[in-house]
Amino acid sequence: MPPSNLVVEKLRQQIDCLEETQSRFSRTIPVADAIDDWLPYGGLPAGCVHEVKGNNLASAIAFSAVLSSRLVADRGYILYVAPDRFLYPLGLLPYGVKLDRLLHISVRRSRDLAWAVMEALRCPQVSSVIAVLGGLDLTDSRRLQLAAETSGATGFLLGSAGSAPISSAMTRWKISSIVSKSGQRFDQPLWGVDLLYCRGGRPGRWILEWRGQKLNSILTQLAQQVSCEALAG
Amino acid sequence: MARCFLSVYCPGIAGDRLIRVVEWCDRYSPLVAPDGPDGIILDVTGCTHLFGGEGPLLLDIRRRLHRMGLESYGAIADAWSIAWALARFGRRFIVHGEAAASVLDPMPVEALRIPAELAEELRRLGISTIAAVRKIPRRSLAARFGSTLLWRLDRMFHQAEEPLTPWRPPAPYRASRISGEPVSTVQDVSYVLRDLLREICTRLERDHLGSRRMELACYRLDGTVDRCEVRTSKPTRSLSHLMRLFGEKLAALQSDFGFETFVLSVSDLEALAPEQLSLSQVDSTKEEETFDALVDRFGMRLGFGDVNRVRVCESYLPEYAVEFRSATEPAMASADWPPYRIRPIRLVQPPMRIEVSTLIPGGLPVQFFIGRQKHRILRSEGPERLASEWWRENGSRWGERDYYRIEDDNGYRFWIFCDSSGRWFLHGHLA
Repeated sequence: MPPSNLVVEKLRQQIDCLEETQSRFSRTIPVADAIDDWLPYGGLPAGCVHEVKGNNLASAIAFSAVLSSRLVADRGYILYVAPDRFLYPLGLLPYGVKLDRLLHISVRRSRDLAWAVMEALRCPQVSSVIAVLGGLDLTDSRRLQLAAETSGATGFLLGSAGSAPISSAMTRWKISSIVSKSGQRFDQPLWGVDLLYCRGGRPGRWILEWRGQKLNSILTQLAQQVSCEALAG
Repeated sequence: MARCFLSVYCPGIAGDRLIRVVEWCDRYSPLVAPDGPDGIILDVTGCTHLFGGEGPLLLDIRRRLHRMGLESYGAIADAWSIAWALARFGRRFIVHGEAAASVLDPMPVEALRIPAELAEELRRLGISTIAAVRKIPRRSLAARFGSTLLWRLDRMFHQAEEPLTPWRPPAPYRASRISGEPVSTVQDVSYVLRDLLREICTRLERDHLGSRRMELACYRLDGTVDRCEVRTSKPTRSLSHLMRLFGEKLAALQSDFGFETFVLSVSDLEALAPEQLSLSQVDSTKEEETFDALVDRFGMRLGFGDVNRVRVCESYLPEYAVEFRSATEPAMASADWPPYRIRPIRLVQPPMRIEVSTLIPGGLPVQFFIGRQKHRILRSEGPERLASEWWRENGSRWGERDYYRIEDDNGYRFWIFCDSSGRWFLHGHLA
């Protein structure tokens, strides 16, 4: 083999090594058609940590529950970790969550919160963790990301709109309530979904409606316009 | 086999202090009990050789008690009563078999452990030693002094068994290590623990059993005892899993002067079938195991009451329709839930009283307040009338409730209800 080919071969190997990190995120969760096209991975990557903020925690939980239920095969578990017991599991049923796959963990001491999320993310049987966190320091957030990468579990870290951003998150979303059109049913809620940050991608904004076990995107023109504003801001 | 009892007499000890010494004596034998207000009884049958024989055992226990500042006397004999008498009235401290009678005979009647009035009465009649009591025919003893005296005599001279109820129920599986030098670092303790666990787990595996609850007792040099308990949701005998559960607890141990003795005991057992080693890569039972291990770790740190599975119950009232059950309990079948009933994601429990304004009296509210925050109601859906089932004794504080789903001018969706007396409450947040 001529030496130039050797060099090419070596470079190719190096590229393969680099690309291996990319293939870690080959498993993706479909969100909605419009969002899947927008995201660079063709969907929301599984096996990493996402941050979901919202001024309305109920909507943020519902959004995470939709994505988690798409991820859970018959074997995986969804863990809900929160400092309180306000979750009402019957409300999750319409979003596709199977209650026998749900484990509810209430954490009384705030210092156990990050520990509990980490333990949950490490377990290979856990496919998704929905955690209500006040905030997270840099080290902990990095640890969570590493734990998720090794086990393949996906973490949805919920927080209020004002809480400090979690630095290691793969994507950061903001879910807001939107005043419905007249005649909109209450089991078909509308959410304003902002993609505030996406590693390797652009931020965006959509309005999603939950109908027929699907998230349907509506009003795309407005979304385009707002995303330009978000980019400028 | 001849039984072997050790009686310790500590004059001037009582109450909590006695119980602490009883707990401490657990290191010699699991069958320990307080004996009267100032004594301790140990069943040391088959344990004495561990301490170099009966004499060294007695010496050891007295020396250690002395170090704790306690004056003590001890004796070993075939029966509880004999050991008791020897510890308090004897000149010899280890007596076995036939020799007992000759040692006991010259002792005063108080050595029979009879009530003081009875001893007084015997002395008044000139009967001052055990030998004198034994000379009197049983029939006249019973007629004159009642059954207590005979009962005591029988116990002393092997005609009646004397049962010992241990202070702590003895664990069926138990292993102990006594270290030559005091152990004080967590690392050393975990080394000893691993050794103990290996022994216990091997025995459990042989007997097809698994532990639900295990306790490690660490005896400090100053006579105090630290105990850490480990509970699991399913029976286990996995060394690595148990080590990990103990690890959390060991870090909290206060070694102070160092530990000298460790006793590991299994207090709760369950059958656990032997495992079939699998040749295939993916093993479903193995996977289940790691999830159970996760539940155990959560339970140990957060409390098993806070790790819950969800069960749907048959009730119309939202607060009764969902039950949080401990994940350690076996799963129960859930009731079906009809999908057309829309329920909130977060329940406000107990319901929060809200002030509403209505256009017409008794009509639907047009706005309401949560604290100072005003919410203008743009849309509403309802009512959905929910009433308590007749079999609930206390029923519901609010009688029949009319639930409405409402949306305010910010797009927030709420679940509110009006009770039978017309007051309004917030009961949940819809997505």
